[in-house]
Amino acid sequence: MSASGATSGSESAAAPHVELRRVTKRYGAVTAISDLSLTVDKGSFTALLGPSGCGKSTLLRMIAGLEAITAGQCFIDNIDVTDTPPAKRRIAMVFQSYALYPHMTVRQNIAFSLSVAGQSRKAQDERALEVARILQLEPYLDRRPAELSGGQRQRVAIGRALVRKPEVFLFDEPLSNLDAKLRVQMRLELAKLHADLGTTMIYVTHDQTEAMTLADKIVVLDKGVVSQVGSPLELYNTPANKFVAAFIGSPGMNFFGVDIAAANGRTASVVLPGGRTAEVGITATAGAGPAELGVRPEHLAIVDPNDPHAAFAGAISIIEHLGNSTILYVDTPAGQLIVEGEGNLDAKSGQAVGLRLNESHARLFGETGAAL
Amino acid sequence: MSASVQSADLVAAPATRRLTRLNQIDIVGLLITLGTLIGAIVWAFPLYWGLITTFKHEYEIVRPGVQLWPEHFTFENYVHVLLQTKIGYWYINSLITSGAVTLIVVMMAAGAGYAISQLNFPGRRFFWWMILASFMVPIPALIVTHFIVISQLGLINTLAGVVGPQLIAPVTVIIYKQFFDSVPKDFREAAVIDGANDFQLLFRIYLPMNWGVTTALAIITFIGAWNLFLWPFLAVSSEDKMNITVGITQVHDNFGVSYGRDLAVAMLAALPVALIYLIFQRRVTQAIMLSAGIKG
Repeated sequence: MSASGATSGSESAAAPHVELRRVTKRYGAVTAISDLSLTVDKGSFTALLGPSGCGKSTLLRMIAGLEAITAGQCFIDNIDVTDTPPAKRRIAMVFQSYALYPHMTVRQNIAFSLSVAGQSRKAQDERALEVARILQLEPYLDRRPAELSGGQRQRVAIGRALVRKPEVFLFDEPLSNLDAKLRVQMRLELAKLHADLGTTMIYVTHDQTEAMTLADKIVVLDKGVVSQVGSPLELYNTPANKFVAAFIGSPGMNFFGVDIAAANGRTASVVLPGGRTAEVGITATAGAGPAELGVRPEHLAIVDPNDPHAAFAGAISIIEHLGNSTILYVDTPAGQLIVEGEGNLDAKSGQAVGLRLNESHARLFGETGAAL
Repeated sequence: MSASVQSADLVAAPATRRLTRLNQIDIVGLLITLGTLIGAIVWAFPLYWGLITTFKHEYEIVRPGVQLWPEHFTFENYVHVLLQTKIGYWYINSLITSGAVTLIVVMMAAGAGYAISQLNFPGRRFFWWMILASFMVPIPALIVTHFIVISQLGLINTLAGVVGPQLIAPVTVIIYKQFFDSVPKDFREAAVIDGANDFQLLFRIYLPMNWGVTTALAIITFIGAWNLFLWPFLAVSSEDKMNITVGITQVHDNFGVSYGRDLAVAMLAALPVALIYLIFQRRVTQAIMLSAGIKG
């Protein structure tokens, strides 16, 4: 799992900044995280992605020091911080609920850590102003959180993290309380903040779009173990297993059972439901037998039902026009498949169609769910 | 009531107006209002009677028959009480002891409530059960024990002796604990990451976030301490150290009881509490509801 092949760049740029070594977290008899190792490069934006209950927040809270590690070690800047209290880890965290102190003004909220550390009022005010300027919060410094909009509260929460000049930023689903439009806007602001500061950021989310757009490295978690680590495109194009393939991408990947007729080291010839065959690229050794094929909606194309190259023949069940694309649900011998077509696609519900498969982009998964 | 009847009248169509009006005369409501009014008069009458008595001459007071208004209005009782008794001392003693009780109880209860609610230490559950159990024992049942302890500490006839046993305030701890329990843990964690220690957490996050509870509890504690009679009466025998409630018992002369003077000092004793009630009505009600919720 180490650094996931981050070999490019100089030694210092790829130096691990945060490292978890074989950490386990148990709550009584329940194991939330088991024997997990992870490295986060200095200056990177790493997203911890997974469905709810996969342990991603627990992982973040262990890095923050809010959750004790049952077994294993946590390093920040090559220093073992496993037993270091949160305040001494030089991290800052933005909570999903923002956790803004309701009885304090924005200024006091931002300067709270400085005030707790015993800094002078003047120093506090100066630093709070500096941070407020970065986040365009100057006009609101004397307001209380209740008088702010969702986006402004979010910015105050970031400001409170920023003011401490942390080595590592931790974000725990920071955008999930915002409406869709604001979420997109704050996403851009976070990306800009990361570009400006260059600080290591670790970001927990269950929203694959957020992870894909913000992160330069995504760690996909499933039931407390790392499923795959890679860049957004790596995860999208070459998912290591069926879980990652299904989790990343919207609308989701189509899966259906196939039979491997023959396979060499590079390609496998598979028999599709309905009897036609396809040649699919593989990287692992595979024997003949049943397997599952994953195809993204955009890698299926609507063709004439009599097209000799069509992989399936079927009928359109439902059409969704999104403007820039059209989503079609097509009933085929492989079950209902989702197809993404062009925005101006002319099709009718019930129409008989053929589906052409972009074989070079299809992924074959073995019985364990691992990619072949 | 009448406002709602009027507005309903305006809305109702002419044909159905008589019918609606009949329906709108809420007989049960009227009876309840009447009942509460009578109740209020029954409650308020002794107060009125006491107040009016302080403005009467003693001979008028002891005369048979009911007089709802003094024949000859006089301030003689107040003048006597203010000039001939140690009411100044009693007032100051009451202020000092009630103030001290309020301050210490609120601080202690907030600290204890915070510890039991937020900290993990061995014996936490034991302390919690102790506190719960302690408020099931009525204080007067322990008053002899209190007296022995305070006298062995040599604090009889001192203000500290008056204050001591009043610091047992389990209900206040319970209320604080429950309010601190309901503070979302994100606040605590955010502050911990910001480097706050437990004192800073308590005084800068938990207490200010529950400021309303603190003021309500402070007011009700102060009123309770001010009105307390039994313990200050037992703990103090020298007139200089008495509270105002105990001081009332000292207002008599060689000819026996003087009702006018007794009631005058009682009125003066009640004045600060009455003022607090008037100023902080909402908070007092809130505090009573809070502790009533706990006491069941």
